[in-house]
Amino acid sequence: MSTESSSTVARVLKPTILILIAIVAISSRLFSIIRFESVIHEFDPWFNYRTTQHLVKNGFYDFWNWFDEKSWYPLGRVVGGTVYPGIMVTSALIHNVLHFFNFPVDIRNVCVFLAPMFSGLTAFSAYLLTKELKDSSAGLLAAAFLGVAPGYISRSVAGSYDNEGIAIFLLVFTFYLWIKAVKTGSAFFGLLTALFYFYMVSAWGGYVFITNLVPLHAFTLLLMGRYSNRLYVSYSTFYAVGTLLSMQIPFVGFQPTRTSEHMAALGVFGLLQLYAFAELVRGYIPPKQFRTLLKGGVAAVAVIASFGLTILSFSGVIAPFTGRFYSLYDTGYAKIHIPIIASVSEHQPTAWTSFFFDLQMLIFLFPAGVYLCFKELKDEHVFIILYSVFASYFAGVMVRLMLTLTPVVCVSAAIAYSTLLDTYLETSEHVLASTKPVIVAAPPAPAVIEAPTAATSEAKAAGKKAAAKAAAAAAAAAAKSTDADAKAQAKSAVASGEKKRFPIFNLDSRLLVILQLTWFLFMFAWHCTYVTSGSYSSPSIVLASRQHDGSQMIIDDFREAYYWLRKNTKEDAKVMSWWDYGYQMAGMANVTTLVDNNTWNNTHIATVGKAMSTSEEVSYKVLRQHDVDYVLILFGGVIGYSGDDINKFLWMIRIAEGVYPNEVKETNFFTPRGEYKVDHDATKTMRESLMYKMSYYRFAELYGGGNAVDHVRNARMPAEGPTLSVLEEAYTTENWLVRIYKVKDLDNLGRDLKDSTAFDKGRVRKVSSLKKK
Amino acid sequence: MAVISRTLLLTLLLALVALLSASSSSTSSLFAQAQPQNDNEALLQKKVSRLEAKAAKNKGVIQLDSLAFEDVMAKPRNYSMVVLFTAISPEFNCVPCLNFDPEYKMVAAGWSKLANKSQLFFSILDFKAGQAIFQKFGMNSAPSVLYFPSSSSISGDPSQDRYDFGKSGFQAEPFAAWLQARSGIRVPVQRPFDFMGLAVKVLGTFTAVLAVTLFARKGRKIFTSKYFWSTISMIIIFVMISGHMWNQIRNPPYSMPTQQGRSGFIASGFQNQFGLETQIIAVLYSLLTGATIGLIAVVPRIENTVGQRAAVWVCMGMFTLVFSILIQVFKLKNPGYPFTLMFR
Repeated sequence: MSTESSSTVARVLKPTILILIAIVAISSRLFSIIRFESVIHEFDPWFNYRTTQHLVKNGFYDFWNWFDEKSWYPLGRVVGGTVYPGIMVTSALIHNVLHFFNFPVDIRNVCVFLAPMFSGLTAFSAYLLTKELKDSSAGLLAAAFLGVAPGYISRSVAGSYDNEGIAIFLLVFTFYLWIKAVKTGSAFFGLLTALFYFYMVSAWGGYVFITNLVPLHAFTLLLMGRYSNRLYVSYSTFYAVGTLLSMQIPFVGFQPTRTSEHMAALGVFGLLQLYAFAELVRGYIPPKQFRTLLKGGVAAVAVIASFGLTILSFSGVIAPFTGRFYSLYDTGYAKIHIPIIASVSEHQPTAWTSFFFDLQMLIFLFPAGVYLCFKELKDEHVFIILYSVFASYFAGVMVRLMLTLTPVVCVSAAIAYSTLLDTYLETSEHVLASTKPVIVAAPPAPAVIEAPTAATSEAKAAGKKAAAKAAAAAAAAAAKSTDADAKAQAKSAVASGEKKRFPIFNLDSRLLVILQLTWFLFMFAWHCTYVTSGSYSSPSIVLASRQHDGSQMIIDDFREAYYWLRKNTKEDAKVMSWWDYGYQMAGMANVTTLVDNNTWNNTHIATVGKAMSTSEEVSYKVLRQHDVDYVLILFGGVIGYSGDDINKFLWMIRIAEGVYPNEVKETNFFTPRGEYKVDHDATKTMRESLMYKMSYYRFAELYGGGNAVDHVRNARMPAEGPTLSVLEEAYTTENWLVRIYKVKDLDNLGRDLKDSTAFDKGRVRKVSSLKKK
Repeated sequence: MAVISRTLLLTLLLALVALLSASSSSTSSLFAQAQPQNDNEALLQKKVSRLEAKAAKNKGVIQLDSLAFEDVMAKPRNYSMVVLFTAISPEFNCVPCLNFDPEYKMVAAGWSKLANKSQLFFSILDFKAGQAIFQKFGMNSAPSVLYFPSSSSISGDPSQDRYDFGKSGFQAEPFAAWLQARSGIRVPVQRPFDFMGLAVKVLGTFTAVLAVTLFARKGRKIFTSKYFWSTISMIIIFVMISGHMWNQIRNPPYSMPTQQGRSGFIASGFQNQFGLETQIIAVLYSLLTGATIGLIAVVPRIENTVGQRAAVWVCMGMFTLVFSILIQVFKLKNPGYPFTLMFR
């Protein structure tokens, strides 16, 4: 086949493959929709969905100024200023465009299918990114990997309408644009990077990763002595425009100039300006004077900068690290100081099984790809290396950040895999004829080493005489050459000529490798489908279980309970529950909630925790103070649903204890042997807590008095269950998963609620209580 | 009538006398008791000064045994006691005891420098010296810290008299905070300045600077060599993807004794792992990556046909074998995993 016709075929094949990859990426995310129905499946996204509905109904400005009095009662929440609006605006835009063309698509469906649609785009941007690093065949592999990798699917299945759904696309695409900008040195691509960075800032708090990784890349290039006008133009454009744009998001505001997370970007920006200025000055004055000037300049800048930083951080203009961010570095910090951060399961560290489960064979092809990047080591490869190292650290600290690791693993593994294919598929004529840089494996010639050497030491020990000398020499050399890259490439080409590479001689070796690799690809695809179908596509608002005969049983208690709330309570009813269910309740039951998944106010959450974990008398006061009409809890003891409130109870206690150390004590909930028990051995405090009472109220009756067994904790419950006097049972769903209690009004006769309950039950009041009155 | 009134008057008189006598007797008894109480106070004073002397001798810590414990605890006492129940002797091999010991002594030493030091005494009861007391309090683990308030003070919540190591940890600061919350007395913690650490740091910096200046050329070559950096990056990546951070945060045991055919170095459960287990995984991963790099970078360098074929077969064989082992290990963690490679 001639090269021309093969390139024509490739031209047709590439888009076809990309489209197929997008189709696969989208359709493998549809399990939950096909099995159940097109609804928002998770807890958190209900808020996004609710705000999107508001946006579509009332327009952008109303959304922007929306004060939501239905959440965080009685505080309320300024929605416009406390959200990342990217995902809502995106869906509203898609919705409006479709309606403009007379496609009457419901906003719910736009929201449900948003993440899968964007995953197709993510695959495409992975292709673009990898193409810049190696070639288009590696790009196609990367696109295919990222399209089906469970690490990304976990947060982007249909019905999970979360920020991450679009944010990963933006992350990868911004990185692609940045690499393009550094490669071409064009302000246009720098500007595009800034624009997409802005989109990312508006979509996800993880934008901080970009704000730190890009400056780190620029800084590393500077240290390696790879300063170039391309770097200067692209970074300056990106930083200036990107920062100004990002400050337009109210939630971000002035953070980019104040908080430590953003300081690196600012610092590198300043450094680049100084460096560029020094380069400029160097051209105009003789080397000797320049050296003196440089020394003085460096010293002055260092002194001014350190003074400025100290003053600013002590006077409080620069904020210290915020809690969530800090917990990434000092992993013990969150555990001691902020239980609410530690309580979120996404913030737990990652066990090795999670890495393998989410990435399968990619996880060990990934270091091989990093190795290949080291071999090439152009500017863009430096970026991938930095990204790999930092993302793997962050993914190790927090399960959630697996999401930022997945793209680079896919890209890097694709580079390794396609290099393998290149090596073992190439015919011998091909190798001899082409001088493809793909498999160039050249240790750089000594001269190439020398330049970065000098510059690095210049940055490290700026005052050193010898270093300054060497730096000057290196810089002069760099100034002479118009394009340092071209030179380096030429050198490495020469070097590669010295170290010979041979084709693979034997057909059996080729066949062995290729067949095995293909087999592993199949296994990877099976693994991904298995994981996606089995683990990441089970919605949390509808539970499915298999019965003994194999038929499926759907447990739809959540929606049952929320529907009951929607239909049977007055419009402004206040419902208290643990924060996990806040967004869902607001979205599905349309009631006012006390706390929700936006955990900004620890005290308020602790107050709810206190109401749940103290005795009836104490918590009744709290309930009355907060105008609570209903209390909603989850109880899994009947069907064995382990994510219920009794299992989360310890976190409620811990968080409450953090704020009310005198009223709630964790130790009182443990038996003397240090066990957390709910049966006969349960402590008095445990048995008197409101949560315990609500969970097990009338539980024993379900079993006819005897043998009541809690299926989650495998505990045999006492036959005499707890009694309630300040609450009355309002509704319990079919499988007892959700229980709703109504808070009683004060007694009409001014009696204690305990006494009045006893009276209603027909019990004669004790003589002692009569005497008191 | 008159008789009745007279008797009434009489009884009234009698009652008055009785009352007077009673009050006088009570005052007399008060006087009588004053002497022994003064004695008691003097005794107490003596005891306190004895304790002070003991504490002063030993940097604020009083070493107790069973007898001394009973003596010190005897009521009434106008001081509070903190007792550390510990087992410091090497045969008990109590690592947390050894860890907490210096922290405890540091708090005690800080306390002994204050003016109001006789309010509160720090003491240590070692298991060897006070087994009886350990039994009396039902202590079956060490270290434990108990707080005994002075007999005059209203003892608050007695359930809080035991310091919770599990929650607060072995550091001096949370311990002092607990003590302060419990006793209402301000207990400062002054960490002694770490001269040793400073010396090490200074020496280290000096050596590093010296090394850099002496081996400037070689050092520079190392720091600018991409082999150096690639090695470091690869190590970081392997360590991280094999779940090392989990170990850092959760502090699992390194391995467990093998029992009932269950291997002791692979933890059961998907979200659980041992220290050794992550190392095994790291080795497996690096073998797999090594085989890949071998196939990419080493094999095409071999000119000899036979050698090249052998290298391909070795690399690919190792790849497949290690991958199958990895899947097998994963199946141990996740028994429902349906795929296998070489082993069934």
